[in-house]
Amino acid sequence: MKRVPRNIARSVALAIGATLAASQAFAQPVDTARIQAGDANDWLTYHGSYRSYHYSPLDQINTNNVSNLNVAWIHIPGRSTRGLQSTPVVADGVLYYTGSYSRTFALNGATGEVIWSYIPELDEALISRQTHSPYNRGVAIGDGKVYVGTMDGRLIALDMKTGKPAWDTKLIDSQKLTVGFTGAPLFAKGIVVIGAQGGEWPGRGPIFGVDAATGAKKWEFDTVAGTDDAMKTWGNDSWRTGGGGGWMPGTYDVDTNTIWWGTANPAPLYDWSGADYKTQGARPGDNLYTSSVIGLDVDTGKLKFYHQELPHDTWDFDSAVGEFVMLDRDGQKLVVHPNKSGYIFVYDRSAGLKNVWRITENSNFVKDIDPKTGELIGRRDFSAGKVAEPLCPHISGGVSWNAGSYDPKTGLYYKLGQEWCMTLTVAKTTPITAPQVQLNIGADFKIAPPPSGEIYGHLDARDPVTGAKKWEVRFPEPPLASVLSTGGNLVFVPDSRGTIHAYNAETGAELWNHSDGTGHQGGIVSYAVNGKQYIAVTAGFGGMASDDYAPTFGGVYKSMPRDDGALIVYSLK
Amino acid sequence: MCARILMRRNPRILAFPTASSILIGLVLCVSSGREAAAQQAPAPEGAELDVKALFTTTCGWCHSDGGRAAGKGPQLMNSARTDDFMKNRIKNGKEGAMPAFGGTFDDSQIDTIVKYIRSLKPDQG
Repeated sequence: MKRVPRNIARSVALAIGATLAASQAFAQPVDTARIQAGDANDWLTYHGSYRSYHYSPLDQINTNNVSNLNVAWIHIPGRSTRGLQSTPVVADGVLYYTGSYSRTFALNGATGEVIWSYIPELDEALISRQTHSPYNRGVAIGDGKVYVGTMDGRLIALDMKTGKPAWDTKLIDSQKLTVGFTGAPLFAKGIVVIGAQGGEWPGRGPIFGVDAATGAKKWEFDTVAGTDDAMKTWGNDSWRTGGGGGWMPGTYDVDTNTIWWGTANPAPLYDWSGADYKTQGARPGDNLYTSSVIGLDVDTGKLKFYHQELPHDTWDFDSAVGEFVMLDRDGQKLVVHPNKSGYIFVYDRSAGLKNVWRITENSNFVKDIDPKTGELIGRRDFSAGKVAEPLCPHISGGVSWNAGSYDPKTGLYYKLGQEWCMTLTVAKTTPITAPQVQLNIGADFKIAPPPSGEIYGHLDARDPVTGAKKWEVRFPEPPLASVLSTGGNLVFVPDSRGTIHAYNAETGAELWNHSDGTGHQGGIVSYAVNGKQYIAVTAGFGGMASDDYAPTFGGVYKSMPRDDGALIVYSLK
Repeated sequence: MCARILMRRNPRILAFPTASSILIGLVLCVSSGREAAAQQAPAPEGAELDVKALFTTTCGWCHSDGGRAAGKGPQLMNSARTDDFMKNRIKNGKEGAMPAFGGTFDDSQIDTIVKYIRSLKPDQG
């Protein structure tokens, strides 16, 4: 008889223990109350929790031992066309995440063992005609199910235990409108909320509320002219092809029963109206509710409040960033929301404006935004023709659609800024709606360095309300992934070259880094299983912003694949 | 969505009817302001495709500076690719990189697009 080596026996025992721990998870339902309460061991929504901090209070991995971080396990989702852009969620030791084509996985969080996988059958012919595709940015969990959107316009619910479909609801006519769902859904109060792509596609950019139990659509809110008042802000029936959308998940304010969501830009991206945009150009008027934050009643989808961050956005600096950091500060309940332009808006819980500050150095689409009124001061509205001075920031934004992180211990907001610009020539366009909707840009453009010198990115540690900066770390190319802060006084930044960095949250001193082998442009989370803390990050490059990196920066990006990716999970040795 | 094929007087404005789209009554919309209603008219069969406008509307998202510079997609001006390669790529696309436009343009229109690409010169503006 052969003896089983002691270390193998120990590994098997640990694996069995971890599997049991993972399976025990299923006994505890994930519901609104549990998400609201939060648990240090979990990561229950795309943004971590309804507070949307992208912060884990876990402190087993900390400034003293982060140098001992090591890869615990890796998962390869396969068919990672345009890399990996998703953010995992974790409940009771089980990690759920997606790859391109909405490939969905439930993994043992301690070992990476595949508990189940779901590879949806999609309309591949449709997807081959899409531009912003086939990536997927994650799932929602709740009421015993995992929810994932698809590029062909469906929202699918999977049983959390087995991965078997519970329902499959078609919400958008993607064959006609081209757009689908890339963003993660949000679960709240028995409703699954998901927003469509939009922006540069002529359409009305709907956001949907779906019954989590049955899959029945409960409500739909059009971000383009979703009310009679909003209809009046689109001259010449331009609302019919207005764009909009809400392609990243927002959050839920349980105190007011309100869904907070950011909306996308109007189409065409670049209008030729000149200064008189209220009466001239492609879409005369303010174009509500594009480039806005909106509050919707979760039960009915009725609009409760809104703030249009960029009236008549003509720069593609939308509000679709789904990050709504819910703060309690000096007795005030505040919401911090980054606009793609690089301006950060601070609201009360009814979208009343409290402050506006800017994270980017290079910005000239407006001279400023009034921090009290939100008025755009010195806005640049283009006429048809070559624009003399480059536009800053570049179309990829002053911030990414990925999220920053708020650490309640340090009181600092860790957020990436992007410094780049673009040359452009604006021209009149005609929306194309047949045989299938096509992009409506309105300009020829090209990336350009900022006036201050080279393109670069930076991680800032700032007061989230005032914008006061405590420290900054610079990167030669803008990092595009999400940021994670933890109770271990650490800030993790997965960069574009493929290196994950850990910084001291108080000082910005780099304490550790490790190569993941390819660029990052997705999420990073932390969780614990059986008392052990893990850091999980998606790696895999390619997509709307990252596709510009090879021609712009060369170097490692020239050979970096855009059809590959992995989920990489770290723990202490 | 709109219910008619629309044309404009301005020859630079995108007219985008494929032969098949005309046959089955497919539609285009104009949202360009007050003159739009007056310029609505059925598109004549075989109307010339305005490729310059097409780049400003759609292709330029990836092919920077109207196809003159590399961006998300390759530089098209002075491309070493053969005409047949380009026609095939426009028609069938490339997974994760180039959408397939074979359902939108007929072969004649794809020929027009390739001819335009071959005529691209550095922007003097």
